[in-house]
Amino acid sequence: MMWQNYQLGNTVSKTSEVVTLWQMEKGIVEINKNTLAVPIELDDKERGYVFHGDGKFLLDSIVETEEGAIGQPVEKELSELFLMLGDTEEIQKHLTEASEEDLAKMGYQNQQEFADRAKDLCGQFFKKKEVHNHQCFDEHRGFIFAFQNQTSKLDILIAKGSKLVYKAMDIVFVSNENKVVLKSPSEVVCTSNGKSVIIKK
Amino acid sequence: MAMFIYVDLYLIFIELKRISVKLRSVRIKLSEELSEEMKKLKEEIANLKEQFRNVMGGERERRRGIYIDVGDRVHDYVEDMMEGVAEGIHGELEKSIFIGPRGVRILRRKEPHIRRDEVELSFPKAAEVMSALGHEHRLRILDELMSGGKYINELQEKLSEITTSTLSSHLKVLEEAGLVVQEKVRGRYLITMPGRTAYKMARRVTRFVERRNQE
Repeated sequence: MMWQNYQLGNTVSKTSEVVTLWQMEKGIVEINKNTLAVPIELDDKERGYVFHGDGKFLLDSIVETEEGAIGQPVEKELSELFLMLGDTEEIQKHLTEASEEDLAKMGYQNQQEFADRAKDLCGQFFKKKEVHNHQCFDEHRGFIFAFQNQTSKLDILIAKGSKLVYKAMDIVFVSNENKVVLKSPSEVVCTSNGKSVIIKK
Repeated sequence: MAMFIYVDLYLIFIELKRISVKLRSVRIKLSEELSEEMKKLKEEIANLKEQFRNVMGGERERRRGIYIDVGDRVHDYVEDMMEGVAEGIHGELEKSIFIGPRGVRILRRKEPHIRRDEVELSFPKAAEVMSALGHEHRLRILDELMSGGKYINELQEKLSEITTSTLSSHLKVLEEAGLVVQEKVRGRYLITMPGRTAYKMARRVTRFVERRNQE
């Protein structure tokens, strides 16, 4: 089964309070109250959401080596549309139906306008991707986030337990417990159990 | 008549003998005195030579001290320090470092080495870095962070004589100079690669100056 078979839900909701979508030692994705949300469905089940509102994304993409810390934390205001795939059960508890007024606050005249923009984002994300549902992604085992960046391309965050991969315009950060890889414009750093390789470009 | 002459000659002989003995004793005495005098003179000359040597040798030592040991080396070192913090950091990043089970191996670039004095120094950046290092509490913060990342309350325990707001402002200065980075999620403060280099340089310079001042 292909992710191209996705479809968006009919109802646009909004968050009733601050909701933490994902959190671990190195990062957090949090959305504020009144953030619009439309579900991404597959096989009549909610597999994720497209959100639009205010929120923040923090990621400590820093590698600790014997020579000192390398890298900078990522700190993003989530004011543009972004997509999340993963466990929706907890999120559903914090959603209420969005009114025309709520949509207007975010610059939409109606639900369809928001749904169209959400569909564009999904189209951009799923374009040419063949992500097999049961092999690569399970709704209870991980999260995928796609944030639009300044160049209208997508920054991707994939997290599962203590493992995470973040790919943005200028950095790639991979972390798996004691193993960390950071690729930045100036260097590539790999650490594993205290041992480090630093390659200056 | 002949008898008188003989007696006179005998008396003259005796007198000559007595004079001869006396002269010999005088000669011996004079010889001893002369020998003593010569010995004293030799000792005096030796003393004078020694004094001369000391005076000239001391002067040479003093000159050597001024021109070689103290002046140039301190000057070079301070100049290196002033020019070098930002460049040193840059230099560190110019290397590829491999830390493996058998130790540290540094792989330098194959590009031709650029002499330090050929690289243009960014004075504002150098001043910022030096200014960040120029406070006892900030150096102590770096010292604490050398052993690993720390939360602000852990640093506050170590620097209990300053307030939390003062500590925060010091950390901000260090962050702006790129010597420290703060994790956004956990909030720990970590010393960066340039921070470690700058801290090590500060220690080296301090040790060097202290040693020189003691000499």
